[in-house]
Amino acid sequence: MFQNRAEALVLALPAAVFAAIIFLVPVVIVLAEGFRSPTGWTFAAYGHFFSEPLNRLVLVRTFKLGIAVTLVSAVIGYAAAFAIVNLSAAGKGRMIGLISLPLMISPVARTYAWIVILGRTGIVNQALQAIGLSDEPIRLLFTETAVFIGLLQLFLPLMTLSLISALENMPKDAILAARVLGANWFQVFWKVILPLTREGLVVGGTLVFTGSLTAYITPAILGGSKVLMLETLLFQRVTVANDFVSASVIAFILIAMCFAANLLLKRLATARNKR
Amino acid sequence: MNRTFSPLILAALLIFLIGPFLIIVAASLSAGDTLTFPPQGLSLRWIAKVFTVESFRDSFIMSMILAVGGTFLALLLGVPAAYALSRYKLPFGEVVNTIVTLPIIVPGIIVGLALLRYVVVPFSFSIGIALFLAHTALVLPYTVRVVSSSFNNLRSDMEEAAVLLGATRLGAFFKVVLPNIQSGILAAFILGFVTSFNQVPVSLFLSGPGVRTLPIDMLSYMETTYDPSVAALSALLALMSIGIVFLAERFLGFSRYV
Repeated sequence: MFQNRAEALVLALPAAVFAAIIFLVPVVIVLAEGFRSPTGWTFAAYGHFFSEPLNRLVLVRTFKLGIAVTLVSAVIGYAAAFAIVNLSAAGKGRMIGLISLPLMISPVARTYAWIVILGRTGIVNQALQAIGLSDEPIRLLFTETAVFIGLLQLFLPLMTLSLISALENMPKDAILAARVLGANWFQVFWKVILPLTREGLVVGGTLVFTGSLTAYITPAILGGSKVLMLETLLFQRVTVANDFVSASVIAFILIAMCFAANLLLKRLATARNKR
Repeated sequence: MNRTFSPLILAALLIFLIGPFLIIVAASLSAGDTLTFPPQGLSLRWIAKVFTVESFRDSFIMSMILAVGGTFLALLLGVPAAYALSRYKLPFGEVVNTIVTLPIIVPGIIVGLALLRYVVVPFSFSIGIALFLAHTALVLPYTVRVVSSSFNNLRSDMEEAAVLLGATRLGAFFKVVLPNIQSGILAAFILGFVTSFNQVPVSLFLSGPGVRTLPIDMLSYMETTYDPSVAALSALLALMSIGIVFLAERFLGFSRYV
């Protein structure tokens, strides 16, 4: 550890000043715009924003999809992580590689695949018509379900990877001990595995939840203007209506939700560990 | 869990995560005019077409410049900051750390909007440069984080010994520290490159005549045209990412850093 403070500042300041100028200052100005009025400060923009049924609908939908994607990815993630942790070392490495692979591929490319699958002439509709369940193509694209599926595929790897590392760090004999003492699988999960892997779940949950809230590509491609989420609504307000005040309100809601989720989940992770 | 259940779960997981990508590859090899699976006959015409679309070429070059140049600049800013954070008692270290990692938490679309509205428009600032700076700031947290962990894994007595033996502080850094964190820097570069190249929200508002990143160009192309060329481009990009990750894993055990 070196003690020279001036030297330390010279090294660290360029990065900090750069991030502050490019990220912090403009964002603060955008957020302030939502509270300004010709005469002073006001919450009028917020009142106006929430009085529009469409805006409320989009807010609720974004929140709902965020929760749903987080919960479902946690359930699938636990099952998958559990199966992977019990593989041989080589198999485990290969599975982790295959799960991480999609994270490196452009989200536009990954989301675009669902158009081929869910479109009017897509695989699902072809199959439904072939087995006679439906006479004409069903609309699957531009529905909440399509956006949900796209988000789940985008974020499931993050949840699974954090649960794998949490399960790996858990003492292996804990499960065996609980089984020997007569716990059933449900009790083992609820009383042993969940508390011991809580931190991994919280890390994965934060990534998935905030990622879903702030998703743009998935709702843009799979939801279109029929299934708007907060980011696509923001983009539409600016490009279609030049409505920068609503954009500022949406920006504030997005940032507030992300920070709240970060804080809340961090507290959940530490609260249990103190006991 | 039992032995029949686990393979089923893993198979389903892989089909869900990788399957759509395989479908895209198959659809891009179609000989037909529209995007379908199974493909109507096999051909390379859509793969070939990707290379002839002028806007794809221009935006690919744009994205490459942003990803390579932005990550390079982020490393120039991030490596000294990471060094200060791990080796010095930095006054306000927590604050510096928070500001530098802010771009991960703040949604990119807001930053793009902010730069457009308060930097580009009022000062008639170049959109290209604003986009470049935004991408640099976006990558900065990743470079600081990855390089910091390299510094933390490197014992500081090495450079202290070099200084005691007569090297200058700067000399010790370049001759002793830097060679030892090479692979960390390369890992940070790859992570930064992929992050910047695939980024959409930051670039949404920062587009103008002649300034457009590849993902944004793909989004607007697929709004108007429903042929397999976006699928072909997606497949090519995915292969590029897989190639980069494969090489990185082969030569530096990349997954240790991510």
